[in-house]
Amino acid sequence: MAKEIRQIAIYGKGGIGKSTTTQNLTAGLVERGNKVMVVGCDPKADSTRLLLGGLAQKTVLDTLRESGEDIELEDILKEGYKGTRCVESGGPEPGVGCAGRGIITSIGLLERLGAYTEDLDYVFYDVLGDVVCGGFAMPIREGKAKEIYIVASGEMMALYAANNISKGIARYARQGGVRLGGIICNSRKVDRERELVAAFAQELGTQLIHFVPRDNEVQRAEIRRKTVIEYKPEAHQADEYRELARKIEENTQFVIPKPLTQERLEEILLEFGLLDGLEDQYSI
Amino acid sequence: MAKKINLEMSSVENREMRLGTIIAWDGKASDLVTESDYDARKEKKRGNVCPGNGGKACRLCELNTPFNQQTMCANAIVECQIGNLTDCILIQHSPIGCAADNAWFNLAFKLGLARRHKPVQNLQIFCTNLLEKDMVFGASDKLRQAIREAKERFNAKAIFISMSCSTAIIGEDIDSIAEEMEPEVGVPVVPLHCEGFRSKHWSTGFDISQHGVARQIVKRNPVKQPDLINIVALWGSDYFTDMLKPLGLRVNYMIDTASYDELAQASEAAATATFCHTLGSYMSTVLEQHFGVPQIDAPQPYGFAATDEWFRAIGKIVHKEEETEAYIKSEHERVMPKILELREKFKGVKGFVMTGSSYSHGLISVLRELGIEVQGSIVFHHDPVYDSGAEHQNTLKYLVDHYGDVPYFTVSKTQAYQLPQVFRRVQTDFVIIRHQGLAPEAAKLGIPALAMGDEHIPVGYDGMIRTGEILLDILARKRFNQVLQRHVSLPYSDWWQSQEDPFILSRNPEILDEVLKEKAGA
Repeated sequence: MAKEIRQIAIYGKGGIGKSTTTQNLTAGLVERGNKVMVVGCDPKADSTRLLLGGLAQKTVLDTLRESGEDIELEDILKEGYKGTRCVESGGPEPGVGCAGRGIITSIGLLERLGAYTEDLDYVFYDVLGDVVCGGFAMPIREGKAKEIYIVASGEMMALYAANNISKGIARYARQGGVRLGGIICNSRKVDRERELVAAFAQELGTQLIHFVPRDNEVQRAEIRRKTVIEYKPEAHQADEYRELARKIEENTQFVIPKPLTQERLEEILLEFGLLDGLEDQYSI
Repeated sequence: MAKKINLEMSSVENREMRLGTIIAWDGKASDLVTESDYDARKEKKRGNVCPGNGGKACRLCELNTPFNQQTMCANAIVECQIGNLTDCILIQHSPIGCAADNAWFNLAFKLGLARRHKPVQNLQIFCTNLLEKDMVFGASDKLRQAIREAKERFNAKAIFISMSCSTAIIGEDIDSIAEEMEPEVGVPVVPLHCEGFRSKHWSTGFDISQHGVARQIVKRNPVKQPDLINIVALWGSDYFTDMLKPLGLRVNYMIDTASYDELAQASEAAATATFCHTLGSYMSTVLEQHFGVPQIDAPQPYGFAATDEWFRAIGKIVHKEEETEAYIKSEHERVMPKILELREKFKGVKGFVMTGSSYSHGLISVLRELGIEVQGSIVFHHDPVYDSGAEHQNTLKYLVDHYGDVPYFTVSKTQAYQLPQVFRRVQTDFVIIRHQGLAPEAAKLGIPALAMGDEHIPVGYDGMIRTGEILLDILARKRFNQVLQRHVSLPYSDWWQSQEDPFILSRNPEILDEVLKEKAGA
């Protein structure tokens, strides 16, 4: 029987670093000898920039708009860092059309064009911040991603979003095979962040699979349109992503998350000192 | 390696992607044969590099029309295919409007059952009747309920779910629901991705229906029935039994009016054939590639030569070559006196054909066998290649090579607004139309119109006689149609009616702006 491709969806609050994490993680997996395809499912189409060394890629939906039905796989699939296959779904202009349907259309097209070849070890879906409608759940439907990782930080809104995403996952998991593989903490250097996110993950029934520290090497690599692993292989941060890749490769803990109530979420935040009280709130 | 149809996926690759289908073109049939470049596309189907002349995807140029009239979509085709099974249920997962044409499909179904000598019954379609709230919150529970009801109330042998535009936009996950419900109801639950906006032509709906049947209904462990021939058909009369019984063969019609068991046994048949490759090519190719049932390697059975070859191809598969030759000879002798009689009556008569794609190619052959001159034809779309890539399925080339060119060959969907121009540039005494809605349009232009609902009329040797006799009846209406024309005014402006070219708006789109400007000024 054909080997099963590990299809993984990455969710998390907007701006949390999903794309950066996914691409650096991909570089880590590629170094370990894996063949990876990254499918950007965000209308902004910036999920493969670091792997491709620029934003040159034409999105699936732009290609569809311009060439109609005359699409070949090579029009929408570009090879990036060490043979990584990169696809950007793209989407309509903000405020018009239906971005969710756009994702359904693109992934359907990729399947029909035969993008999911047997030599692939991993397919990553880098999805928009929140599962706002049926379209954004497309990557976790039956036969697609069975594993999900949520990128979060110790900030309240990031955890709030992660909890919401868990509700969506739980819904889909009850019907099918999709499972949460863990929380990736992309550190924002808030107090007691590691403990907080670990506690949150535990409460969800999952794990903090890796704590990625904040490091300016990431910024420097990004400016050069590279992953840290490509830009500065010897950097400490590169090792962090290698470690994340190893943990994901070896991960066996896949669960149906148990989303927290709003009250419980706030309790945890209080417990870890994030909401010390209004008297400490100096930013507003 | 040949590109195999992928049965792993629940959805079908659209016709325009798979075959390069076009819906608007105008010119000589021989030019369309050249432009279609079937041989080059055939190579591509076989997994070789396309040596074609039209760029990387060999795109066949088509005209763009600013107006679109249409009588159906892929979803409607699924209704009149899968909804016409005798013991299965189709659930339309849609607002109720998508079910509005069930009434006339019911009529077609009942007629079809009567023609096939089966008990007449109503069509088997549910609709989830989606409303505002379902669109916002999702409608999966309604669908689950409908699946349970289909099993409980009708004991459906299989339950099909059709996607509509609305459910496709909100991303209803019919695949997962089908998979989840199957163990509960204990029968196949088959998702069909036939949302209307998916394809520019309704014929993708045929492929979607056939795909679902092949994926989940057709038997995986067949016990061969060496005397069974699959005929991919619509609702036509059972003439194929008349044709094949003398050779000791039985017919298995699919999909319309079939039962679950009849569909399931398709993999047990000795071969697959069809009255029209536009309809049958996908199913025939799937059965060949995935179930080892060969498709008939011959032209479509219209006119003498093609029918001969068709029988020979079947004879070869079932190892009855000698009987087949004797049968062909005796059939020629039997029908020839009548054909000669008809040819006498049709001297000087001209006709026009307006039907689905490769069916028109066959029908024109039949008319020409009867000595009728055909100057023009409209096909509702054109596929430059068919799924098998088989030489013999290049039906337009067969027509042009064996029966001569068609000077005014038009590819256009059911666009009634072009009919005044189309019929002005050809001489014709009658028109044969497959889509009933258009027959009255032609009749209003003073042309006797035959709405050919029973698509098997022209098939085989007797088909030529049947067609001829019906046409004699139709020609007798000439006077009536002329009177009708005098009393009917068309809804088009004088300007449009005075135009010569049915595609002038495609070739010179700026004209429309000028006309509108003039109108605003006036």
